[in-house]
Amino acid sequence: MSEVLTTEDQLLANFEGWLNQRFEASSSLRAIKEAGAENFKKLGLPSRKSEAYKYTPITKVIEKNFDLDIAESPSDLTKSDCEAKFYQDADANHLVFINGVFVEDYSKIISASSELTIKVLDDQAINEHAELKSNLGHVNGSQVDSFAALNLAYFNQGVFIKAEKNTDNKNTYIYQFIDGSKQTVLFPRVFVYGAAGSRTKVYEKTFISGEENSLNISIVESMVEANAEVRFTKLQNYTNKAYAIEGVYAHQDKDSRFYTNTFSFKGAVVRNNVYINIDAENCEGHMNGLYQLSGKTHVDTNTSVDHLKPHSYSNELYKGILDENSRGVFNGKIYVRPDAQKTNAFQSNNNILLTDTATINTKPQLEIWADDVQCSHGCTTGQMDEEAIFYLRSRGIEKTNAKALLLNAFANEALNELQNDLVKEEIEGIILNKLK
Amino acid sequence: MLKIDNLHASVEGKEILKGINLEVKAGEVHAIMGPNGSGKSTLASVLAGREEYEIEEGSVTYQGKDLLELAPEERAHAGVFLAFQYPVEIPGVSTTNFLKTAVNQTREARGLKSLDAVSFLKVMKEKMKLVDIDQALLSRALNEGFSGGEKKRNEIFQMAMLEPTLSILDETDSGLDIDALKIVADGVNKLKSPDNATIVVTHYQRLLDYIVPDYVHVLYQGRIVKSGDKSLAHELEDKGYDWIKEEVAAL
Repeated sequence: MSEVLTTEDQLLANFEGWLNQRFEASSSLRAIKEAGAENFKKLGLPSRKSEAYKYTPITKVIEKNFDLDIAESPSDLTKSDCEAKFYQDADANHLVFINGVFVEDYSKIISASSELTIKVLDDQAINEHAELKSNLGHVNGSQVDSFAALNLAYFNQGVFIKAEKNTDNKNTYIYQFIDGSKQTVLFPRVFVYGAAGSRTKVYEKTFISGEENSLNISIVESMVEANAEVRFTKLQNYTNKAYAIEGVYAHQDKDSRFYTNTFSFKGAVVRNNVYINIDAENCEGHMNGLYQLSGKTHVDTNTSVDHLKPHSYSNELYKGILDENSRGVFNGKIYVRPDAQKTNAFQSNNNILLTDTATINTKPQLEIWADDVQCSHGCTTGQMDEEAIFYLRSRGIEKTNAKALLLNAFANEALNELQNDLVKEEIEGIILNKLK
Repeated sequence: MLKIDNLHASVEGKEILKGINLEVKAGEVHAIMGPNGSGKSTLASVLAGREEYEIEEGSVTYQGKDLLELAPEERAHAGVFLAFQYPVEIPGVSTTNFLKTAVNQTREARGLKSLDAVSFLKVMKEKMKLVDIDQALLSRALNEGFSGGEKKRNEIFQMAMLEPTLSILDETDSGLDIDALKIVADGVNKLKSPDNATIVVTHYQRLLDYIVPDYVHVLYQGRIVKSGDKSLAHELEDKGYDWIKEEVAAL
């Protein structure tokens, strides 16, 4: 009788060999990665009945579209190919990842290491930075997610970004290049550490080439120390061959601010897990996002803000425009724990469906144990406002332009917390282009 | 300029307009009065091209063209303007941006060159004086959080910017205090010329003290049942609508 391998087994089939090729037995990172693999074995992939993946049967999607052979594929991309895609921001750091691996040689790092450390997330980084070693792989409970665990096992050369105490830092751009000339599974990992009083701004963008399927299992972890600020923005304008499961996990210390923006326009199936842990007083956590979808793109947004201590504020705003046969899923959790008195937590998710065949499943979820808090949430789903369209038309604005004007205004609200003009312009351009 | 001939219109199967006849010439001001539910706003909406109304019978000719064939934006381009009874709040779109789009699309349709930012602002400044509207208001999202008076003033400001030939004011006086009413009426009067015409739809005579009509028509049960000059409006103010209803019932 031949044994049938589970998908989990297949994913880990070559893990030992993969590990042996890259890490000495004494490596600290090796131990962390082995623990990641063990954890993944224990967690398994989300089952069909998984509540967290209710509308995105991710395991089935992976089984159907990938042969699960984990090997880093080489790419022909040259340094100048990559540089050509950089934002025109000379006074900034530009970091290149190719198929999930940070390529320092292709990157342009100009910040002084006394202000902003940017280095390969490898054994050396782990040994030199106790704050990385002690947090990697379990910022804000990232160890409870199967894909975060799988990423921990398989990531190879991520990037470690650390803002030193009281530094106000230049923009850092991360470019993820995915070479899809062969089917590929990639595991990029980014760790952003904001030391006390510092400010860090990171923008991530992905470029996909080639015709084959890619599966991007990406993890960003961020520790935000007292009175520090970290801003992380992600632009997802993929291809119909791109599958992605991406996690952003942040942990906030007192008086800190964390902002995350996610803009999703295209992909086959994209799942975003965005979790903020507010574990101290007087913090601000902001989560904004827009999914403007068409074709058969499926984007599932799963967010959580966990208020553990009093006197903090969180605000979450996600906007959705769904055209053609696209599908959006939004699940937003807010927890206000018994100690978190005087919390202000707000959430809103507004969706416009442009066709009868587009769908949205939206579910706000508030769990409040403290009694002296201000919390609100609101979900709306609807068609375009006909009265507003008529109003604009009656002033001489053609129907298609009237609709575009209204949708653009609707979408632009999600850009409120994006402070980078270059990125903002690009996103505004994509929004407008999609409305044509 | 405008000729309405035996116009019948319904909404959701219910006939609201039951044979309207009306002719408006350039330079004229017509007031359409009538009790609630008589079809006044429906008439205004049908003329502006609101799509939920079914035209059952009759015709509307505007400057020799079949008005009912035109899309709402084409009517605007041809010079028809409706000041809304309830101007719509549009979050995220500033009045200035909205008007720039509207003015330039209208100009293009009329074969004129688009205004650049500088000339647009210049025109805007001129027209702002007309209705005493504040710059700060125009930078805000269109009508969002505006008071009733601000919304109506903004309607007349838009009218000034779009320079219509035929303006239809739908209950522009409703909800306005007397000062706001004077400002709005004053704006309308300044925009009056021998080449354009105005239809004032109202429930009350009050507005007509400030925008003096050449003709007053009483709309009741979907028909114009009485026409006269401005003295008819005063008569209605004194006696109410009951005598009209009785007259119609006696027929």
